Amino acid sequence: MAYLFQPDYVRYVCSCGSVKPVSKIYFCRHCLKVRCGYCVCHEVDSHYCSNCMENLPSPEVRLKKNKCSNCFECPCCFQTLSTRAAPAPVRAGGNPSVEDTKSLAKPPPKKVYYLSCSFCRWTSRDAGIPDQFVATGGWPEQENPHLARIVALLEYHKILASRERQQSERKKFHPKRTYMQFEKFAMSSVMVRKRAGLCPLPQSQQSDYPQPAVASEEVEELSPDIFTQPLDITKITTLEQRLKHPDVQAEEINQLRPQHKQFLMKRSQRCRVCEHNVCKPEYSPQSIKFKIQLAAFYHIPEVRIVTCEPLRIGQTSELLLKLCNPTQHQTQIMLFPLSTSITPTTVTAAGTKEVDRENMQLGCESPNLLPSLVRQITVTEDPKPLKLSPQAEIILPESILILPPRDDAAEYDDTGDTHNFQDDPKLVVWRKGNKAVIRLLVKPNEDEQIEEGKEITVGFVMQYGYVNTIATLEHKEPQKLDLKIKLFLSIGKLVGST
Amino acid sequence: MDSAVSRRSNIKIAVGAIVCEESTLKGHITIGSRTVVHPRASIIAEAGPIIIGEGNIVEEMAVIANRLPAGAPEPASTPVMIIGNFNVFETDSRCEALKVGDNNILEMKASVSREVELTNGCVVGAACSLTEPETVSENTIIFGSQCQRREMNDKPYPQVGQIDYLTRVFPNYHHLRKPNMKIVKEPAI
Ligand SMILES: [Zn+2]
Ligand SMILES: [Zn+2]
Ligand SMILES: [Zn+2]
Ligand SMILES: [Zn+2]
Repeated sequence: MAYLFQPDYVRYVCSCGSVKPVSKIYFCRHCLKVRCGYCVCHEVDSHYCSNCMENLPSPEVRLKKNKCSNCFECPCCFQTLSTRAAPAPVRAGGNPSVEDTKSLAKPPPKKVYYLSCSFCRWTSRDAGIPDQFVATGGWPEQENPHLARIVALLEYHKILASRERQQSERKKFHPKRTYMQFEKFAMSSVMVRKRAGLCPLPQSQQSDYPQPAVASEEVEELSPDIFTQPLDITKITTLEQRLKHPDVQAEEINQLRPQHKQFLMKRSQRCRVCEHNVCKPEYSPQSIKFKIQLAAFYHIPEVRIVTCEPLRIGQTSELLLKLCNPTQHQTQIMLFPLSTSITPTTVTAAGTKEVDRENMQLGCESPNLLPSLVRQITVTEDPKPLKLSPQAEIILPESILILPPRDDAAEYDDTGDTHNFQDDPKLVVWRKGNKAVIRLLVKPNEDEQIEEGKEITVGFVMQYGYVNTIATLEHKEPQKLDLKIKLFLSIGKLVGST
Repeated sequence: MDSAVSRRSNIKIAVGAIVCEESTLKGHITIGSRTVVHPRASIIAEAGPIIIGEGNIVEEMAVIANRLPAGAPEPASTPVMIIGNFNVFETDSRCEALKVGDNNILEMKASVSREVELTNGCVVGAACSLTEPETVSENTIIFGSQCQRREMNDKPYPQVGQIDYLTRVFPNYHHLRKPNMKIVKEPAI
């Protein structure tokens, strides 16, 4: 799987117009279209702490400011801090006789706890935080210096929100009354009075309004010794460390305090057109599995570049591509030039017919069971125009390549089943299981001014047979379709001209 | 046989040190008591002798080398590399510093070049390397991909438990080089 994270040599064009490697795209089985992170709805399923795996409902998460109350993060290198135990220091003084008799009776296994980073060795002792006598909790909370201001602003916004709610409720009861019209257009009572020719009332009800922030040009002077004192880089914080905690922005290392660990979240992705999920993780934070995972590499044939001969202007070079069928059904692949329309088609008795699942599906069976008020309103955008243009011509074969279904057991079978496909020997170089290597010819464009060393891209439309197993109202049987997708391949740098 | 004897005689191992047979030792080397040298660790005294103190741990694939940089002129006097007590050279670390104090830790794949002096209680973090000439002040930790520095509150604790454990376990599983040097004075701890 490591190749999935390598540079994007082979990119697929999503239906929204963005260009992504196969590992980053989804395939909606309901609209039969490719979707990517840009063109799906992202929904938060659950919040969890990646250290203690605690899973909280979202109102509580909001209350805790998206942070875990038990786990801390190193303020120095941002790793999770661990709690270390140390023997409590023996306290001298007090009443020695009483102490002695006590310790003789039962030796107190006193321990103290401190937080420590196993990566950068920062400890809570570095910050001067006293050790705790309990292993969990009890750590002093760092106060936000702007807390009063934030609380005042929050209070004010709560008042505003409640006023707005009152207004909209009043509107609901008397929607057609003309004298309420002013409020409907969010006119303040001051404006209403002005309209009526009355002088405005003295502003008294605005006393709860907090002082607005005032921008100031004056910056505190630097102390003169900043130019004379040698800089000790081991004692000052980095920009990253400061910006990680914008409320405090400690300048010195010893002012850093352990910070609560931020929650991570699990999110599901939903197709904007048909509102089906294309990706839904299991709810439990411990699980790394998915309930729904319609990743494109389970459905669309994967294309990999095997080799490409050195590219020279005006000269044809051989390009070897490996195609792999990831599905449980046999597929037939044909390659077309980039200008081909990518509307899916199906072959029926009457002939080739275009299929538009997108409009057919819309509105008839929405899987989103949430009430329409709560539900996120899906906004669909028109696809962006494609800005990539290939710098080389590709000579495409006319024959069809058939790939058998994936068979995991065949991986270990060395008996060389050839399936007896009538392959075009000029096209197919090698074949094993659900994979085949094909030979294509590319020719960098002569008329374009391409500099030497420039990355050369080629593109084509791949048509592949897809078996849709989802039963719909019209089709109870699995339906065979020919789907098309645009591909762009970076095949190497231009070596020179002939 | 003769060369083997002379090679052996260059290496002085104090009583109480655990030096595995599979380690690579070259040149004039003195290893102090309670120091543990893992199998496949290398101590190479090419340009001059290496003197290692007490209670150090040299883990597998770690390299301690007294080696002149390529193309450097022959120095007037023989450079001696001195390593103090209770230092830890973790797996695949590389130390060419001529002066190493006490309680330093070189984490995995850390590298310290010849012109660097490690004082006491310094930690060179995993994969961090020090190449420019400098004296690293006490209790400094260097960590992360940016080789960030910070002064620690306290020096790392000596790995006494680990030394004791290795001293007990190694003789059961590895051939050891025989100590050939009596302890002159009592160990510090
Ligand atoms: Zn997209
Ligand atoms: Zn937690
Ligand atoms: Zn840290
Ligand atoms: Zn869809």
